[in-house]
Amino acid sequence: MGEAIEQFFASLPARAPAVLRGPTTGAIQLDLTTGNRTDHWLVEMRPGAVRVTHGRGPADAIWNSSADLFERLVTGRAAAMAAVLRNESTYSGSVVLFLDFRRFFPDPPGTRDPRDTARERLGRSG
Amino acid sequence: MRERVSILDGNTFLVCDRRGDIEPSFDFPTGLFSFDTRFISTWLLTLNGERLHALSIDDAQSYRTRFFLVPGEPTHYLDAKVSVIRSRSVGGSFDEELTVLNHSGQEVEFTLRLDIGADFADLFEIKHKRHKKGRTTPSVAGGELRLAYRREKFHREVVVNTSTPGNIDESGITYRIRVGPHGEWTTQLHIATVIYGARGEDIRATLPLGGHRSAAAIHAEQDELIARAPKLGCDCAPLAGAYRRSLNDLAALRYESIALGVRLLAAGLPWFMTLFGRDSIFTSLQVLPFLPELVPPTILMLAALQGSRLDDFRDEEPGKILHELRYGETAGFEEQPHSPYFGSADSTALLVILLDEYERWTGDGDLVRRLEYQTRAALDWIDTYGDLLGTGYVWYRTRNPETGLQNQCWKDSWDAVSYTDGRLPEFPRATCELQGYAYDAKLRGARLARTFWNDPAYADRLEREAAALKERFNRDFWIPEREYYALALDPDGRHVDALSSNIGHLLWSGIVDESRAAAVVGHLLGPRLFSGWGVRTLGDDQGRYNPIGYHVGTVWPFDNSIIAWGLWRYGFREEAGRICESMLSASRFFGGRLPEAFAGYDRDLTDYPVQYPTACSPQAWSAGTPLLLLRVMLGLDPQGEHLIIDPAVPEGMGRVELLDIPGRWGRVDALGRSRTPRDHARGH
Repeated sequence: MGEAIEQFFASLPARAPAVLRGPTTGAIQLDLTTGNRTDHWLVEMRPGAVRVTHGRGPADAIWNSSADLFERLVTGRAAAMAAVLRNESTYSGSVVLFLDFRRFFPDPPGTRDPRDTARERLGRSG
Repeated sequence: MRERVSILDGNTFLVCDRRGDIEPSFDFPTGLFSFDTRFISTWLLTLNGERLHALSIDDAQSYRTRFFLVPGEPTHYLDAKVSVIRSRSVGGSFDEELTVLNHSGQEVEFTLRLDIGADFADLFEIKHKRHKKGRTTPSVAGGELRLAYRREKFHREVVVNTSTPGNIDESGITYRIRVGPHGEWTTQLHIATVIYGARGEDIRATLPLGGHRSAAAIHAEQDELIARAPKLGCDCAPLAGAYRRSLNDLAALRYESIALGVRLLAAGLPWFMTLFGRDSIFTSLQVLPFLPELVPPTILMLAALQGSRLDDFRDEEPGKILHELRYGETAGFEEQPHSPYFGSADSTALLVILLDEYERWTGDGDLVRRLEYQTRAALDWIDTYGDLLGTGYVWYRTRNPETGLQNQCWKDSWDAVSYTDGRLPEFPRATCELQGYAYDAKLRGARLARTFWNDPAYADRLEREAAALKERFNRDFWIPEREYYALALDPDGRHVDALSSNIGHLLWSGIVDESRAAAVVGHLLGPRLFSGWGVRTLGDDQGRYNPIGYHVGTVWPFDNSIIAWGLWRYGFREEAGRICESMLSASRFFGGRLPEAFAGYDRDLTDYPVQYPTACSPQAWSAGTPLLLLRVMLGLDPQGEHLIIDPAVPEGMGRVELLDIPGRWGRVDALGRSRTPRDHARGH
């Protein structure tokens, strides 16, 4: 299990107040596979807060993918919806939960604020 | 080119020729499509080795067609001893009944052959003529033909079954049959499409509403939807016809969203059978007075998919509302950015406008409270990422030059935004209607903040910002010597000075200074913009004007419906009526079904509206147009708990009566009647 994934889950409780602003409540289980081994994470979400457990639990939705793909997601190098569309990951259960959970995924590495780029091109400062 | 026949149910649709055949096509989407994938690209029937031709086609239903066919080409002497009926429907799957009728007095032996093929093309591979990266494998087993497509874990299948045994091979089915004197032979073909997802099951099997509907279920659901809509009684036959056709088409364009398990409206057949932010919001605004229950799924879905991060490939920013969502292979493998794509600079403000308008009609304050955070994030987007240059306007410039959209307003073709002399401006661009939508969104956001979020300070701030934007806009966009608003500002803040229909949207938004409204209206109904069949997208004396140019001269019914709403808002009822009359007259030439767009030729030049060659039809916001025009003519506007009815029916239209208009008041009736010429002579 990559360090990036551990760090990602560890960061969620502190980030939840800013990220989970909608009324959604529910638990999403993430099954992350490396070779023959599957690692389970349970994220219980409610407005402004999450509880993360390293393990299974009663869940309203299940995400299933390789740990490798998930690591790319938590480092911004992959996009979650596209991964589901090409069936590289599968998802079942409440879709609203997933759409809220995806808000924790960061920008692709090196992405710049488009305002800075646009203003620079015109030789203007922000 | 043979005329095409289309049937649809939501985003499953089938396009074939007049014989019911599908031949492989790499430049136009013929075939059976579902969720942006072509599951059948060859479907060709021969009798004793001969193609058939159509005597007649029954296509009265949106999801079902019947073809009456005889062998041979139409030039042959026709003495048919045999005929074939193909009766088909779509509803998640595709079903076809083949019947062979022997008209002779003897038993006859026939060889009936159906060639079947699937190329699993993604819609964008047809648009851009790309070749498949995965592999298709046909197999025959257990009395069925199975065609499977795989690319890594992406896996789609089509399975063809026949009720009467035939010789099945990897490219079709052959039936050797004997039909008795004056007898008939029949088989039922069932064609199932499979999109593999979690646990190797069809992705649609896990949806709360279920993915497959029978023809009977579709019929019942459409009937029920139409029964719930207000009843129209009127003297004007085109209006009655267009209203009925629109309700049918809107019912047919509803589809199951894979993502949320709710029914959404697809935008248009055949290119746009998916969720678009802008199209679904405008359609929702049009249908709100008639079918308000269609609106919340769209609002919820767009809010749930709101942008949350910066992503250059998708033109995504936090708070932004999506442009287009696709489900196909090119979206999954990121050859196209539609997972979802956020390249529109208007859908974010438009969603706030829709939420407010929805509450004004329905009184559904719960939805407004539930979406407080997303709505605030949308309003924040306008002043942060939307204002790329920090000048107080909404600008756009794609960060995905390969597959992103250059123009991120409703006129999104590459040449749609130009100076009068035809030159194209640099990026970023700030088109005028984007500023109108931002203004309206702020005012409506203020009402929501004050009424539902208990935040009067935020409401005051939004109102101050709106007032400042209106003042700024009227200073910076107005071209005094031409007396209209510039189409856009270029990055140096100069006028992109073409005369365009966009100025009509400004009336709808209310950003036009009262003192300038008459001049704007004069242009909209003047000879350069008004063709007689409607307002052109671009004035006919502009450098890039082309009467059959997609966004540079054609007439768009949806555009006209918003313009009519704007004219009404500023009190120009007679002018709004002229737009209504011209649209309804045009609709007669399309069987009541207004297309996406038609040519911009003068009405005097052509006695009928000339079809735009590749216009989508049915198209959701064109189907919504007659509904919004009805609202405009009857002057329907919610005020508090009541519906204001203030009709101004165009001359010659007679009586217009709309019964059981749903809303927070329960249901009410509206009646309007056009004035006689004598009334008219007395003036306003």
